[in-house]
Amino acid sequence: MSEEYKVKVEHLTKYFGDLHVLDDVSFNIKKGEFLCVVGPTGCGKTTFLNLLTRIYMPTKGELYIDGERADPKKHNLSVVFQEPSAMPWLTVEKNLRFGMEIKKLAKDEIDRRVLNMIKLLGLEQFRDRYPHQLSMSTAQRIIIGRAFAMQPDLLLMDEPYGQMDIKLRFYLEDEVIRLWKEMGTTVVFITHNIEEAVYLAERVLILTNKPAKIREEVNVDIPRPRKVSDPEFVKIRNHVTEQIRWW
Amino acid sequence: MSKKHGLNLSKAEIMEHRLEILYRILPLISVLLLVGLWMIASRDFNADVGSGFPTPAAVWDRTVRLFTRPVKKMNLIMHALVSLRRIGLALAFDWTFGIIFGIIIGWFPKPRAFFTPMFDAFRAVPPLAWIPLITLWFGIGEFPKILIVIFGSLASIVVNVKAGLSAVDKMYLNVGTVFNATPMQTLIKIAIPSSLDAIFAGVRTSTSAAWMVVLAAEMLGADSGVGFLISRGMDSIDMPLVLTGMIAIGIVGAILAILTQFVERLICPWTRKSK
Repeated sequence: MSEEYKVKVEHLTKYFGDLHVLDDVSFNIKKGEFLCVVGPTGCGKTTFLNLLTRIYMPTKGELYIDGERADPKKHNLSVVFQEPSAMPWLTVEKNLRFGMEIKKLAKDEIDRRVLNMIKLLGLEQFRDRYPHQLSMSTAQRIIIGRAFAMQPDLLLMDEPYGQMDIKLRFYLEDEVIRLWKEMGTTVVFITHNIEEAVYLAERVLILTNKPAKIREEVNVDIPRPRKVSDPEFVKIRNHVTEQIRWW
Repeated sequence: MSKKHGLNLSKAEIMEHRLEILYRILPLISVLLLVGLWMIASRDFNADVGSGFPTPAAVWDRTVRLFTRPVKKMNLIMHALVSLRRIGLALAFDWTFGIIFGIIIGWFPKPRAFFTPMFDAFRAVPPLAWIPLITLWFGIGEFPKILIVIFGSLASIVVNVKAGLSAVDKMYLNVGTVFNATPMQTLIKIAIPSSLDAIFAGVRTSTSAAWMVVLAAEMLGADSGVGFLISRGMDSIDMPLVLTGMIAIGIVGAILAILTQFVERLICPWTRKSK
């Protein structure tokens, strides 16, 4: 098995009862790659992610991380879920600490990373607030901070910016790019926003309708920072849009 | 147009303002009406033969007399404290054993499958039905009374804790899975905190259940406690004493409710919905 690949997906198939969600999907993700997965709503993007984290088990096929069968016990991975998943009983700061405390990191290391995240995400004034006291987008920032603070080598993001206002989304898109470059994390970013996918990804994976197969892989070789008005950007965006509208 | 804070209010705002005032007045009217009804109902009260419904004044006098001439050397507050001590001991058991048991049958599927039928059978029996057996086994001391209170209040905490633990949001458990939490971490750092409001609902209902059952237990055989005051009043056709006891029960019950609510806010600050 090649060392170059962070994730190998082989003949991945998933049924929920009679519902066929993923159909024989195979692809690889390179180490340190930023991959976006796009596809129509309800096509099985989230299912794919939940298979990687072993929240679900595949019906057929297998997922490998670093050449081993995917297992959150062995691999340092983090997930940003689509739904607001901040613990309502913890303050912002304690939510940021949560994952690291589960993994029993040293206290001063946790302090350092949390402080960094609070600064990075502009959460200073919310430190001691509870999630229900915050707006949707602020609550989602906690989740992003919680995931990045883990310094995962595989970060899975499931439409993390879906709930956010546009300004903050642009800001956090740049932020995720910055963190990705800094940490060398492999990122799988699921979205239904095509512009977002082309803006972020090195490679865009387009899925078909359910049962999902890979429609096409599109390499995005545009230098960063990317401009949404750049003709090359527009060309790729239109191409991806066409592929999704194809059926 | 009326003026308030120097602003012109629209018709709708004036209506809203008036409604707010009305909502504040209505509870007062309710209390006054109750006292009024009480006075009307007690018109025919005769203290000497104990006929009719006691007047507010007679109840007040009786309450004062309870302090100047205590019953069984105890005034009203001491009787209330005796009752509170009984439920305190019972609740101490409920809140330790009951919560642990609730967590076990709420969280672990095998104990749940095993204990649920047993527990459902137990809680289907009204606590007062245990009185003959408990009296036979343990006599009429302090312990059997506390035991009856436990039997009457344990179920409500166990049921609430169990409900909370068996309905932890999958989302939070998934977060635990992803961060590779151990089963123990999942229980202690996710499941129990996320059920704290359900656990507190159990604390509240068990407190009020315990308070009801202790009075019943005391009425059936005790020489102290608020329930005893009521049965003493009944035996000696001293209706003002009965009313004194009833009102004391209401006041203590309300204080307990406020107290548990206060503690809940202290321990679960995130359940407060304020900004």
